[in-house]
Amino acid sequence: MKRYHIVKRDLLTPGRRIVFYLLAIAAALLLGALLLMMTGVNPLSYYFKMLTIGTVTDSGELSRLAYKQVENLIKVFVPLVLTSVALSVAFKMKFWNIGGEGQFLVGAVAAAFIPLKFGVIGNQALTLLLMAAAAMAAAAVWGGIVALLKVRFGTNETLMTLMFNYIALYFVALLGEEKAGWNVFLDPESQRPLFRSVWDFVTMPAITIGKFSLSWSLLFVLVLCILVYFYLKKTKHGYEISVVGDSIGTAKYAGMKVGRIIVRTMLLSSALIGLAGFFKLTSAGPLSTSLTDSVGWTGIVVAWLAKLDTVGIVITSLLISILRFGCSQASVTFGAVDSRFADLLQGVILFAVLAADFVIRFKIVKKEEA
Amino acid sequence: MAVDFAVELKNISKTFGSAAANKNISLSLKQGEILALLGENGSGKTTLMNILAGIYQPDSGSIYVNGEKAVITSPKDAKRLGIGMVHQHFKLVDVFSAADNVWLGRENRSYGFRERYKAEVSGKKGIGKFGAAASVIFHAAGFFVSERLLKKSRYREIEEISRSFGFEMDPKKKVYHMAVSEKQTLEIVKVLYYGAKVIILDEPTAVLTVQETEKLFGVLRQMRAEGHSIIIITHKLHEVMAVSDRVAVLRKGEYVGTVETASTNEQKLTELMVGHKITLNIERPFVEKKKPLLEIRGLTIENDEGACAIDDVSFYIRGGEILGVAGIAGCGQKELCEAIAGLRKIKSGEIVHKGENIVGLAPKKIIEKGIAMSFIPEDRLGMGLAPSLSITDNMLLKNYRDDNRFSPFVNRRRGRADARTIISELDIVTPSTETPVRLLSGGNVQKVLVGREIETGPNVIVTAYPVRGLDIHSSYAIYDILNRQKVSGVGILFVGEDLDVMLALCDKIMVLCHGRVMGIVHAAKTTKEELGLMMTGALNLVRSDEKRTGIAKDTNIKEQPS
Repeated sequence: MKRYHIVKRDLLTPGRRIVFYLLAIAAALLLGALLLMMTGVNPLSYYFKMLTIGTVTDSGELSRLAYKQVENLIKVFVPLVLTSVALSVAFKMKFWNIGGEGQFLVGAVAAAFIPLKFGVIGNQALTLLLMAAAAMAAAAVWGGIVALLKVRFGTNETLMTLMFNYIALYFVALLGEEKAGWNVFLDPESQRPLFRSVWDFVTMPAITIGKFSLSWSLLFVLVLCILVYFYLKKTKHGYEISVVGDSIGTAKYAGMKVGRIIVRTMLLSSALIGLAGFFKLTSAGPLSTSLTDSVGWTGIVVAWLAKLDTVGIVITSLLISILRFGCSQASVTFGAVDSRFADLLQGVILFAVLAADFVIRFKIVKKEEA
Repeated sequence: MAVDFAVELKNISKTFGSAAANKNISLSLKQGEILALLGENGSGKTTLMNILAGIYQPDSGSIYVNGEKAVITSPKDAKRLGIGMVHQHFKLVDVFSAADNVWLGRENRSYGFRERYKAEVSGKKGIGKFGAAASVIFHAAGFFVSERLLKKSRYREIEEISRSFGFEMDPKKKVYHMAVSEKQTLEIVKVLYYGAKVIILDEPTAVLTVQETEKLFGVLRQMRAEGHSIIIITHKLHEVMAVSDRVAVLRKGEYVGTVETASTNEQKLTELMVGHKITLNIERPFVEKKKPLLEIRGLTIENDEGACAIDDVSFYIRGGEILGVAGIAGCGQKELCEAIAGLRKIKSGEIVHKGENIVGLAPKKIIEKGIAMSFIPEDRLGMGLAPSLSITDNMLLKNYRDDNRFSPFVNRRRGRADARTIISELDIVTPSTETPVRLLSGGNVQKVLVGREIETGPNVIVTAYPVRGLDIHSSYAIYDILNRQKVSGVGILFVGEDLDVMLALCDKIMVLCHGRVMGIVHAAKTTKEELGLMMTGALNLVRSDEKRTGIAKDTNIKEQPS
């Protein structure tokens, strides 16, 4: 005889929910620790290395290169947070944009094209501005096509954005192999096909604080996050996005032009992802098929972990960035553990948080006998 | 020895979160009786029956079937104990035939490995354990395959069985071709086929016409005569009086009591159900005739499949008038409402508002003209509300663009003020204005929708099924709202289901059958039977030789000289 069953429970207070999520992350780290022990690595020292992202030396002092590590962390964080926030805009509308990878690459290609084709236009700032505009426009077109097709012909956006990823990916691969006069993306000095860095022409300006240089990209992105927050929460557009996401029938009934809202929102989402591609390109060097560092996928995980909440996305992105960058730093010391351990942990954390969601919504009760 | 009670529920409690749906309910069903389970929305009727049918687990309490303690942890257990439930929303596979829907939930006979093995070992000497096992497995494979094959004979088998219960049914007919009453018959056949002795029906008459309801009651009485015990959930009192032997009443999750139907009346039952005295009369305030507000001429509309949904329909609504639209489910009501709101293209005809043709205008423009449409679909949330958004946000749905066209921001302060107004005016039960609408109970959800439509200050209200699934209390609140609007000069198109209500509330009633007007009659001068006959198409009061029905003498439309 079954004596236990699952019932829904009341909404928990935010404080208690956070406790559950922290427990979930702890459980994921614990599972990771087990795996580390199996490979003969001391999990405590590994996690210490990971969480301090290489700013602390083995002897326990602050590394002389600590500022460099923080700069590198920012380079990981900026594209991830912008992509995640951009994806959440589409997800709020229940438009499943899983084409972040493609939109990111298309944005980066368009941004690279400007200096590689025309050199420095006017001055550095103008060139950078044009690059950003090109990245946003190209990515918006890339994502906008899918939205148009959905609105016009009712195609499935999940499938379409996914396929568009591969088109973009293999287009970049083609650019990387085809040595020809038209191909401005390759280094003219090199005999072998090699992508030319935009650093030959432009660099992202930074504020120097002692040795540490704070990239402007971080400030831009944080401002963008604040703008998106207000866009979603306070504007008529944001309101329309949530109504369309909740019920298309209701949106039509209220006299909203649903097709236009879908296209407009997707243009915004993909333009922001293209901009993330621009930031990555100007901070992390030449174009390549692996330029995205999987932010198009990781961004989906981040957006869901944060329940599409903009503030939550900024915090989650920071944590995931520390995890990913920290693992690559730790792998320098611990040769036995590949830096892809970060992917593994990320997956386990996602599952643990989903499990925590279940515990937050349901409880198991014992049946009392009458 | 015969046991007195088919089912006894003892001290059943069930909570969802902190809300107690059932509090210590004890209830008994006698052998061979029809028990009506009566209660307002949210009084826990459906929850209690779902516990009996194995869909929910009670937090505490016990169930006795035929005097023996029973453990019901799944619908399968309930089926095995002979308990079957016909749900309010049918559980049928649309693309399957009638027979396959019945076949689908059929219990597979078990093979009985052990018995077979023993028989093999003892029956055939010298076969050995291994040989016996091999033989059993060989036979079992054949048995399992033949059990799971869809044989042609299933059609005949199921047709015969349904005939033996007194139903005529085409076993090959697909569910999506069936009328609502046919689907319900199929659900009942299904339950009977699985051998149910106790049958629970959850609001079976909500979707039926008067004649169909009478037929269903005939079937229930016959089933009772054959020894079945029946529980019927309803909140239509006259039906309770007509069909039941005893009435059990629930109020706010608690058991109030059981009374013999013969020794009670509608007034007493209402008092038991609501907890205090309530008048059961719907008012029909008299309002001076005004000019027609909305006139519809020769309207023809196609449905999603391209078939004719509304066929050459003409009618008009005056200010201060409620025009009822009666008809069996799916005879063009939805298409008509959508066309008036500008959500559906029309094929031909005119929709004229205050003398101005509004055909082809965008929904937004029609809203601005003061035509409010609220359609409560079967799932009650599909149209008109965004369920995950707060009451405040739902209040803004139609007017968020208005206050400052150039401001990019939504004015939530106004939405919140509107939300507070309707919460206090319509007694909406909610923790706050920021609560998502889907967390409210059905009655409150509908009040939010109807309240918002009225808050926009319309001059024409089109409302379809505004009291769908609501209890007496909430229904009367809604009738009251509509009457107040009528008195203030608003023209109301009321698409309804309950003929008693329409006869009491509406000034005139238009009856539709398969998209055609069967007649427009004065509510005070017609009867339920007449309406019922018109709904099924048996009576047509529209005669071609006369002046066309539904055209006002003092029309705003300038007649074309012909």
